[in-house]
Amino acid sequence: MAVADFWFITLSLAAATFSLRLGGYLLGRRLPAHGGWAAAFRALPGTIIVALVTVILMRGGPAEWAAALVSAAVAGVSRSLPLTMIAGIGAVVLFRHLA
Amino acid sequence: MPVRNELLAGAKDITPLAIGVGIYGLAFGVLAAQAGMDGLHTGMMSAIVFAGSSQIVAIERIVAGAGAGAAVIAGIALNLRLLLITASLRDQFRGRPAWQVALGAHMAADENWAMMHAAQNAGRPAGYWYFVGGGLVQFVLWIAATATGAVLASAIPEPRALGIDFAFAAAFIAILRGLWRGAAIDLLPWGVSVAVAAAMVGLTPLDPSWSLIAAGLSGAVAAGLRGRG
Repeated sequence: MAVADFWFITLSLAAATFSLRLGGYLLGRRLPAHGGWAAAFRALPGTIIVALVTVILMRGGPAEWAAALVSAAVAGVSRSLPLTMIAGIGAVVLFRHLA
Repeated sequence: MPVRNELLAGAKDITPLAIGVGIYGLAFGVLAAQAGMDGLHTGMMSAIVFAGSSQIVAIERIVAGAGAGAAVIAGIALNLRLLLITASLRDQFRGRPAWQVALGAHMAADENWAMMHAAQNAGRPAGYWYFVGGGLVQFVLWIAATATGAVLASAIPEPRALGIDFAFAAAFIAILRGLWRGAAIDLLPWGVSVAVAAAMVGLTPLDPSWSLIAAGLSGAVAAGLRGRG
């Protein structure tokens, strides 16, 4: 890749990304802090992350689905982030090997 | 809680995820080397863009032979979700000086944002500085790991072979466990979000970034229309 292309990609991606980051806050600040809007904002973290996991799993296959079930079980019992990550990685290696 | 303690708590809690970020950073560095970037350029891009998945997508497009414009658009599409992430940080950013808003905005990433909400949900004092503490750890590690990856490209194994590509899926599942506020509150918005994401990924040719945003928004709208939670 040419140096000019590198700077074009880096600077335009950086400018757009920072605008999105700042713009989101400016947008959020203008919306009401109670009632339906507040309920929607409180729901956002969960709805985005559950969508993210759905998208990741739909790109995967049975090995990833089974590993997700193992991760969910470990998360449910242990409530531990590192343990869930170790269990998920271990499970996906095992299930990919079996598949 | 004093600023320092909150920064350190955020930094400590992000550690398991930061290890994943570091491994992904190495993988991005390898990709950047394939696109002809050296360690210095890779590290500079990581510092000023600081949005891992969009950097990966943009440079992957270049390696695949796409033009610079197409690469940038693909990267931006993936970052649209940041709009929703910082929108939901309004309570943490409100009333802060401009430099803190700018710092917090640049530090906004999936992992520290999700960790902060999970910590709050567990009743712990986790606000702006907790979020920034986690973000700074990710920021430093991301720059170091991506630059290292570009320099050592030929010596680094492919993450998929080690199951590392699943690390973030598992981490987000653990974070969801922490975010769950019970079926009476979260079943409806989460159910709507999963259904919309699955339908859009399964039935439309759109890039998954759009499905992610539409699904996240639909779930939040469902919670908003219900008016509680």
